[in-house]
Order: sequence, then structure tokens, then C-alpha cells
Amino acid sequence: MNTSRFFLAGILWISLLAPGALPQATNNQAALVKQSSITFVGTVSQVAATSFAGVPKSPQTIVVRVDSVLKKPAAVSLKKGDTVTVEVKDPAAFHDGTQATFYTEGWIFGSGVAVKELGHDTAPSGGTPGAAETGEKTVGQAQSEISDQDLQRLLATCDYVVVGRITDVHPWAIPKSAASRYRTSEHSANWQEAVLQVQSVLKGPKLKKNKMVVRFPLSRDVAWVSAPKFEPGQQGIFILQKDEVSGAPTSSAGGYKADVYTCLKPGDWLPMTEEARVRSLLKNR
Amino acid sequence: MRALAGYPTRVLALTVLTLMVGTVFGRGQSPAGKRAAAAAAAAPAHAKVVDLIPASLSGETNQDSEPFLAVQTANPQVMVASAFTPNPISNTGNAPLYVSEDAGNTWVLNAITPVPRMTCDITHAISIGENHPRGDLHAGTLACAASVTLDESESDDVSSSAVMNVQSSRTNVDQPFVRALAFSNADHIYVGLNDLGQSSGRTATVDVSLDGGASYKSYSIESRKTMGQDGPSVRPAIAPDNTVYAAFFGWRKFNGSMATSDVVVVRDDAGATGSHPFQALKDPSDKLPGRLVVKRVSIPWSNAPTLGQERIGSTLSIVVDPNNSSTVYVGWADRGRKGDIYTLHVRRSTDRGVTWSKSDLPHTTISNATNIALAVANNGTAGLLYQQLSGGRWVTHVVQSRDAFATIQDTVLATVPADRPVGQFLPYLGDYDYLLSVGNEFRGVFCANNTPDRANFPQGVTYQRAADFNTRTLTDGSGNPVAISIDPFYFSVAVMP
Repeated sequence: MNTSRFFLAGILWISLLAPGALPQATNNQAALVKQSSITFVGTVSQVAATSFAGVPKSPQTIVVRVDSVLKKPAAVSLKKGDTVTVEVKDPAAFHDGTQATFYTEGWIFGSGVAVKELGHDTAPSGGTPGAAETGEKTVGQAQSEISDQDLQRLLATCDYVVVGRITDVHPWAIPKSAASRYRTSEHSANWQEAVLQVQSVLKGPKLKKNKMVVRFPLSRDVAWVSAPKFEPGQQGIFILQKDEVSGAPTSSAGGYKADVYTCLKPGDWLPMTEEARVRSLLKNR
Repeated sequence: MRALAGYPTRVLALTVLTLMVGTVFGRGQSPAGKRAAAAAAAAPAHAKVVDLIPASLSGETNQDSEPFLAVQTANPQVMVASAFTPNPISNTGNAPLYVSEDAGNTWVLNAITPVPRMTCDITHAISIGENHPRGDLHAGTLACAASVTLDESESDDVSSSAVMNVQSSRTNVDQPFVRALAFSNADHIYVGLNDLGQSSGRTATVDVSLDGGASYKSYSIESRKTMGQDGPSVRPAIAPDNTVYAAFFGWRKFNGSMATSDVVVVRDDAGATGSHPFQALKDPSDKLPGRLVVKRVSIPWSNAPTLGQERIGSTLSIVVDPNNSSTVYVGWADRGRKGDIYTLHVRRSTDRGVTWSKSDLPHTTISNATNIALAVANNGTAGLLYQQLSGGRWVTHVVQSRDAFATIQDTVLATVPADRPVGQFLPYLGDYDYLLSVGNEFRGVFCANNTPDRANFPQGVTYQRAADFNTRTLTDGSGNPVAISIDPFYFSVAVMP
């Protein structure tokens, strides 16, 4: 699902229901939403304080009571009424009773949550609990496997983004030229080669033929478990890097000698349902 | 000092909480639960077991396997633990460590390793040479996102948010195993690793830093011909008198599923400060450095679920008596007895590794077990941690002995179903766990199925994450059920007097 779209909808709701807040619903705010991993509306209860042991107290740390949660990873326990330590950028901007939307990234997880401020927005001041709850519900349903921020990073650093279908998968026979780097380890990758029939190129130079060779690790070892695995017939969006890992960056698996690509990070393969989001992020880079 | 100042309050609070939890969870238990509770009550109260997952991550379901532990010896309230725990909020954020400042009663997760998202192998040690109140943590971490890269890194304060400083980096190595020793005002660091880039095939290596990690030198400690490489585990052990031992598997043959291996021990008497370190022990059979404790044993190698859902192939531990560096123990696993999948063994030397017990010490030939870890306490008591597949359960033992295991005290820390949860990746529990001694305690870490069932933890257990022991379910902190998974557990066991 399109996380950013739902966030923006939630923020728009908050903005409409909070008089005087509309001018602050800016592009900058949308960027903060994308960048933050934990976003919540809260009220400052203590300054220069922390909410649980294990967090270093400083003039920049404040304690905030959560009024509503707009965005969080599923693993993180955070709900209305919890207290959060926020390391803020400008302590002078906060005092007891200040209400704000906090855009944050995770910092320390213990008996409570400590976060670092990426930005804040005082829009909810005056109290609009109904709006905040609307935001929580909407955004809570919009969690995605990979955040826009992480996906944006993958898209920015890859060589190709293509839509395609896997037509063949076979074990990669390690050539003599690369054999010296392959010794026995529990982290051995068990490389496979997948032939990818390209349907469209979303990023990268035009291909001479509509086929690419993707090398991927079949190993269940911890080193490779997050790398996408492929099967014949598998379709989707492939975010590809030139192979700098296996030691032999060319292959003749497609019937001719060609560069080999890898697809190793979580999110480097996405289902077709993500195509619109990928296109949108590529367009807005 | 902050941790010490707050400690009495936290202990009091934890005691009250524990009593409350015990009272609440004692109600409505099943008959089996009541029997287990009665059994636990009858056992001597000498162990503490704590699930490391913090309350604020109650919704997590990761396979947090392969644990490790470091203790600040100057202030043993401070500890650092690790596991295959991903950054809880981001695929690109730093991989985290667990930090405790109250002797393991509570833990927080702090994302300060130099590795993105999740480490592969990670081990670490806290030394006191540089006098940092909550450091110096020296870590060896493998980053495996694209290729296997070792970072040798340092933190001066494990509670700060500063990412660990990478002091040295290298590729194509396996299983870094870090030990550190305070020496004058510097830390000596010894990192055992399998250097797969060694063209000679003599891959068992120790990286040595004599300046707190500012610079490292690599020493191959294999002096014999190999089948092309040594086994993954290379384990240093250090004594306060500057004696350094290291154990490794000298692989002589390998057919893809079975290694024919020597178990080799090397020694250095001057902290590896000389120009040709680790050559003090020579084997009488060929006069080469490296004493062959056992020769040509068969070690099964399987990078697939083989011992229950766990893989096997390289479990090894060595420890030296901190007050008598002549006494050293080594433990490993091999094919062992017919019908066993994987059998543990422990041998001992009392003459600085020159001669070794001819057979396994009593009570230390252990069937279908792995993750061996040895420690020796200040009073000379030997400790042995291992995990055994028995009756469809993973049973975690810590065994103590004052007489080379002729008589033992065996404490079961956990006994959990081996078929649940289904593994997400390998290793299932870890290629290692860890045990060390601190004062009159053995402290350590192991991984296990996290079902909140008191019958699974005969010594009792404390969960930080939200758990209902009555219904034996985990929740996300808001009452929603959470699937069981593999969690890291810290434990402390009193050393036998």
C-alpha cells in the first residue's frame, strides 16, 4: 500500500480539523512523515528528563505522554497513555504541556521507547483528539513491508529497476577464475542464476535484449536469508545492482555473454502491487 | 557510577515486581504448571534467567539467535549482549546491541554497531585498560548484506547513541571471536577468525592488537598442511598473566559432509607481543607448533537442519583458569559414538597444554548436543554450558565441577520444544552461545523458544516483554497475541563454593 499517501491524508485531516494548522502542512512535513519511523501526537510532561532507565538524560531529552500513535513498526509497543523519551533538537521549543506531532526515529528500546526528533509540528495544540484518532486508524492500516524512505534509498543506489518475469533458475557453476574465493563456510551463499524476461525498464539504460541474468543466494544462512529468492514464473519489480559479490560478473546463462546483476537486499524484489509506488518514487526523486 | 547509584532502587523494584508476577501467575496454573512450580520451588534458588527482549519490543517475532555476552569486569553491573536481532525500525539503521546496567535484571536495545540492520556473526569483550566507565567494548562484527566483511570496532560508552568506531576492516573471514585483556593502560585484543583469504590454506588466524584496536596484526596459527582451509571456529583464551591460548580445527580432509580434523591448541606466554607468537607449544609427533589434543576425528558438516532444526559442523571452546594459567580446558563436538548426530567432549591440561587427558573428562561425553562453552571461576570451579536435543526438546544445561567433572552439579536452565517455532534461517539457536565467570557467578547467554511457560524454565524466568504465563501466550503490550519465536536469554548461576 502507498504509505505516504495515507499519511498525507491523515495529516490533511488533522490540518483541516485544527484551526490555524493548515499553513504548516507543507512539503517539508510530508518529507518528515516519510523519513520518520515513529510518528505520534503527544504532550510534554517533563523537560530535561527521561522516561525509563538506560536512556542518558541530557538537557535535550524530554518526556512526552502519547496522545495518539500515527506511525510505528509492528514490533514496537507504543500506545496512547505511554510516555516516551524524545531527544529534541531545540529544547527551548518545549515546555510542560506543549502538544505536538513528533516525527522521530527510534533510538533506545527498553521498558519504554526513546526516540530522536527529526521534526515536530505544533498543529494539534488546543487539542483535537478526534483528528488524531482518525490519523492513527488510517495510518495504522497503511503499514508497508518496506518504508518509502528505505525504498527510496534502494531506488537511488541501484543500476536498474525493471518489471519482469523469471523464466529459468539453475545452480551457478563457479568458474575456475573465481574458485579461489569459494571456501567452506556456514555463510556460503549457494549461488543460483535466474534468467529474467524484462517487460519494462523503469530505471537504467535501454537493454539490448529483453533478458537479464540475476544471481541470487539460495542459502538459508543468516547472511543471506533476507535476500530475495526466485522461482520460474515469478513476476515483479526487480531492483538490480551489477554483480560485485560473486567474483564472476558475467554469464552466458541467457544464451549469450551478459553482465550479471544481483538483487540482495530486502525490498530489492517487490510484487506487482507495488508498481505504482515504485513509479511514483522514481518520478519524485 | 550512574548504574551503581540506581541499583538498590532497581533491585527493590524488580523484587517487588517479581513477587507480584509470581503471585499473579501462580493462580490458575494447570496441574502440570503447578507441578513444575513446586519442582522449581524445591530446587536451590541459585539461578537467574531473564529474556532479553525489552517490553517496548513485545511485538517482535524475530529469530534472535546466536547470543554472546560481555561483562565490564570493573563494574559487573554493566553488560553487553548480542544476537541476530535486527534494527527494530529500519532496514538501513544500525544493528543493535543489548545493554544492561543492573547486572542483567533489565536490558535495553541500543543500535550502535557499525553494521546495517543486523549483524551476522558478532562477538565482543569489555576490557578495563582504557578506564571508560561503560566501555571499552571491543567487537568483531560480520556484515553480510552483500559480502562477508569483518569490522573490528570499539565503543567507549555502550549507553551512548554513538555508533561504534570501526578500527579495522577486512573481507572474506568467518566467525570472529573477540577476547580482550587490560594490560597497563591499553587493551590487548585477540580476535580468533578463519581467514578464508589465506592462499596457503592455513586459515586459522588470530588478529592481535596491542594498542586498544588502533592497529592489528594477523597471525596464522596453523603450521600444518590442510585440505585447503581450517574449520570455522578459532577460539582464543587469555589469562591475566598474559598467557594466550587459541584452539582451532585443523581440517586435514573434507568431502563436503564430513571433515577429518585435528583439534589443535597453540599458546603464547607473552600476550603475542613477540615477533613469532603462538609457537610455545609444539606437538611431539612432528615438532611443529600447535599441540594436537586429538587427531583426525570425524566432524559432520551440514549447513541444513540436522540436529533438530539446527545445523552442525563447528562448535569449539577453550578456557584457561584465571588464577593458574597452567590449567586449560578444551571442548568440541564430533561424530562421536555410533548413532549420535553430534557428540561433545571436554579434555584438560594442567601443564600449560603440553599434555592432555587421554580421554574425555567424566560426564563430558555428551550425545546429540552443541553450543559448548567453557569457563573457570576464580575459585577454580569449571563451568560447562551446552544445549542438548533430548526427547524432542532443546535442553540447556550449565554444569559445574571442582574436580575436573568427576563430580558435577548440573543445572537445567531451559527445556523447550525443539520443533517450534519453525526456523526462519540458520543457525536456529546459534553456532555458539557463551559462558564466563564474574566473582562468584557464572554468567552466560543462550537462545530458546520463548513460550512463556514456567515448566520450560526450571530455575524460574523473568520476561521483560509482555507475556501471560497463565495462558502461555505473548502479547504486543496492547493485549494482541504475538507468535512465539527464538529469544536470547541471560542467566546467572552461583559458582559452587
